[in-house]
Amino acid sequence: MILRLRDAVLALLALAAAGELAGAGEPIIGRTPSARSGPPAWGAPIDGQSGQPGGPGLALRCAKALTCARSGPQFIDDAVVLVRDGKLEAITTAAEAKVPEGYERLDLGSHWLMPGMVDLHYHSAGSFDINDMVYLANPELRVAASVVPRNPNLDRNVAGGVTTVLYIPGSGTNIGGQGVLLKTGLDRFEEMVVRNPGSLKVAQWGNPERWVMGVGKTFEGWTIRDTFSRGRAYARAWKDFEEGRGPKPELDLMFEPFRPIFDHKMQVSVHTQIYQVVLLTCTMLKGEFGVDVFLDHSEIGGWMAAPVAEKMGVPAIIGPRSVDPPSRFFINWAEVREEGFIGLGAGWQKGGHTKIGFNTDAPVIPGEELLVQATMAGHYGMDGSKLDLVRGLTIVPAMTAGLGDRLGSLEPGKDADLLVIRGDPADPRSSVERVWIEGRSVYDVRGERRRF
Amino acid sequence: MNSLLLLGAALLGSVMPSLVAQETSGSKSSDAKTADAKKDEAKKADPEPKWFAVVGGDVHTGTGGLLRGATVLAKDGVIESVGYSTDLPEGTEVLSARGLQVYPGLVAISASLAVSQGSRFLAEDDLHMRCCVDFGKNGHLHEGPLDAELDLLLADQAGLVDAQSDLRDAYDPFSSSLLMTLAVGITSAEQSGGALKLKRGEIDGVVMRERFLSSFTWTSASSGKTQLREKFAAAARYLREKREWDVRKDKVKDLPEPSKKGIEQKILSVLDGSARAKFNANDRDDLLGIARLAQEFGFRPVIEGCVEGWIVAEELGRAGAYAIVYPRQRRDKDENLVRAGGSSIENAAILHAHGVQVAIGPASNGIDLGGITGRDLLHLTVDADFAVRGGMTDAAALAGITTVPARILGIDHRVGTLEKGKDCDVIVTDGDVLHYETLVQYTVVAGKIAYDKQKELLFAHIRPRTPGDGKTSNSSGDSAPASAESQPPQR
Repeated sequence: MILRLRDAVLALLALAAAGELAGAGEPIIGRTPSARSGPPAWGAPIDGQSGQPGGPGLALRCAKALTCARSGPQFIDDAVVLVRDGKLEAITTAAEAKVPEGYERLDLGSHWLMPGMVDLHYHSAGSFDINDMVYLANPELRVAASVVPRNPNLDRNVAGGVTTVLYIPGSGTNIGGQGVLLKTGLDRFEEMVVRNPGSLKVAQWGNPERWVMGVGKTFEGWTIRDTFSRGRAYARAWKDFEEGRGPKPELDLMFEPFRPIFDHKMQVSVHTQIYQVVLLTCTMLKGEFGVDVFLDHSEIGGWMAAPVAEKMGVPAIIGPRSVDPPSRFFINWAEVREEGFIGLGAGWQKGGHTKIGFNTDAPVIPGEELLVQATMAGHYGMDGSKLDLVRGLTIVPAMTAGLGDRLGSLEPGKDADLLVIRGDPADPRSSVERVWIEGRSVYDVRGERRRF
Repeated sequence: MNSLLLLGAALLGSVMPSLVAQETSGSKSSDAKTADAKKDEAKKADPEPKWFAVVGGDVHTGTGGLLRGATVLAKDGVIESVGYSTDLPEGTEVLSARGLQVYPGLVAISASLAVSQGSRFLAEDDLHMRCCVDFGKNGHLHEGPLDAELDLLLADQAGLVDAQSDLRDAYDPFSSSLLMTLAVGITSAEQSGGALKLKRGEIDGVVMRERFLSSFTWTSASSGKTQLREKFAAAARYLREKREWDVRKDKVKDLPEPSKKGIEQKILSVLDGSARAKFNANDRDDLLGIARLAQEFGFRPVIEGCVEGWIVAEELGRAGAYAIVYPRQRRDKDENLVRAGGSSIENAAILHAHGVQVAIGPASNGIDLGGITGRDLLHLTVDADFAVRGGMTDAAALAGITTVPARILGIDHRVGTLEKGKDCDVIVTDGDVLHYETLVQYTVVAGKIAYDKQKELLFAHIRPRTPGDGKTSNSSGDSAPASAESQPPQR
């Protein structure tokens, strides 16, 4: 019965959508319903092997490819994307495309292609016991131990277009431990791992006050500075040893993560919010210690630090909040005495910041709703006309995590993490129809019930 | 009680005019009623109707039509015409919507009481909401812990039980919550099973319908289900016997009137159509049970939640069910069951395709001012968007936040679409109402502008309206509507 129901509904939907084909000469992303693409125009069903490592090549043709390239044009109309061995091979217009012999060709009709989305503040990849609060600084803890592949949250995230997450410890202490960068839709932990550790999680202010002793800003600031100072000394000692300048240091698990951090092979992700706190994140961690740091949350008036963060090269990843609400109606954390809704994306953008991304803090916001963070940034005044909303879901977080050469855009040589989507990714109406991760087909609404 | 009072006033005004005129009735209350009756007469005698028109916008009527550049003309808050070549009577207040979109005001089902009762409930506090909803519905407070604030609140409202109207007496027409609700285009809201028209700055006429939705529990325990079915059966039997008695009592002497003992008035109201039964149910089996109950006793159930409705959509459609769906509500499939289960983003679309009337509610029906957006009452259209993501058409999703909730609340003869004879509750937007960049520019309630984006501080700074788009003016014979008297302030 279910299959029959489903067929009937699909037929109705196809009929309903038939009138909504995207017309020629539309803006990149329009505001009318017709901006969304029409019914699927799939080629013959494929076996799902093409594009995989070791499988035949795959040639995808689509009405529009949002390339989200690191620089330059952000989209190609009537594009062809070539995939081979799990990597993107070429992205060109259909007219210029040279599809090699033996490649499977798949016409996506009026659908669009885009890179998989990246969520850099995520807690839903496994069991939720990831907020150990034994010490105020626990850099040695690793959340990788708690990953549960293909859990229902991860499966839904795939259907929301999220293909990579930074799974991090909670914010109960100043240094919560090491996160891990994971691909969402794959079956085994070993396949999922993009980089482990993915980041060192720092929670600067706002949550660790709940720690046993009831600490405040001064002690928390000292704890972070002290731990980083000792971590830097540890990393230097190992560097000296490796380069033949000193004796072999004793292994200390607590400070091990600081070796890749001070080698710039790993970032520090900081739960930070409120203007002064964001300033301190920039000046202490980036200015004083010179590590690669990025802002998570970035809320509650944090946007007022945008010029400083931009100047110092500190990316701002925003969420789960997307506005500073009118302080007249609410507590005045933001210290913005405004009577309007200040969009955080708009605030960072107007402050001249160019590396604005979005995060969910899942399960605070369900991971598959990452796109809604872009939706709301746009709603509350962030200008998306240069595709900054889409970049904030893809290339900005990818570059922020140090993966700009591997993820986040449709550029040759990158992982084939691809979404087939019905239109503007920031519009919740644009459903994700199909997902590939590293060339593997991990979600296809033709073969299963739509997950999201 | 309301109707009794009204009847009394009418009697005083018409049956006993001489008594009234001579002011000899003596009692104070009669005097007050007399004054009211006089006022009513004076109002009737007033020859000057108030005209209001929204001119030049693309009018989405909600009845299937899109009239580009049309005029919506209202007389005393009620739509007089929707169309072209409308002659505007002299003195019509004109709102120019040139270049803008015109929609019926949105109808929010299951809205937080903060909407009508003010800022006290701004924090989404379950306890407060629950207690207050229970209080409003049943006239007494359910068990549960109370804090000092809640006590205070109840003290404020202690007079409600004997008041004419819970909703009216608790309505705060100046609250910031009301303003925010209007600012997102919501002009009607369910409050405690009734429906309010969200008038700003005035109270008269806010209550459109009261105590219409009647909550029933379809418990997971089978005994509760059996009991409810038996209660419905008893009520149906009573109604049959009562009808028979009504017919035969004049012919048969001393025919005993059927006893109403043990019959629940709440169920009688559902069966005679004066109230509508609302269930909160999500499981497939519960949904099927409700559908059977409704078909057996001949009423159309409203089912809130309806998470597994997509599995039994045929049955729900056949039972004439209304569903209140929260498109982003999540529930994992129970893996102990072989059958399909769990939530589906396609729920609203599948239900709609099977003839179920689908109203769409927000992920959270409160007003969230903690900074997280896109999930609360202030972002109702986002949830309509998610219904579209699951396969609904834009039109059906829009109906899910306008016409269908109006039907569920029994106010569809007044709101939900833009048609002659309906209330002039109109929103003017700068684009497709379901698109995320669209902001409400004006909200009109009963023919009065209740919200103007550029005149309030909430959203004025976001994509400020281009001067020239949307102006108000007064058509006084020779001056054209386009010649605006005032410019909206720019920030």
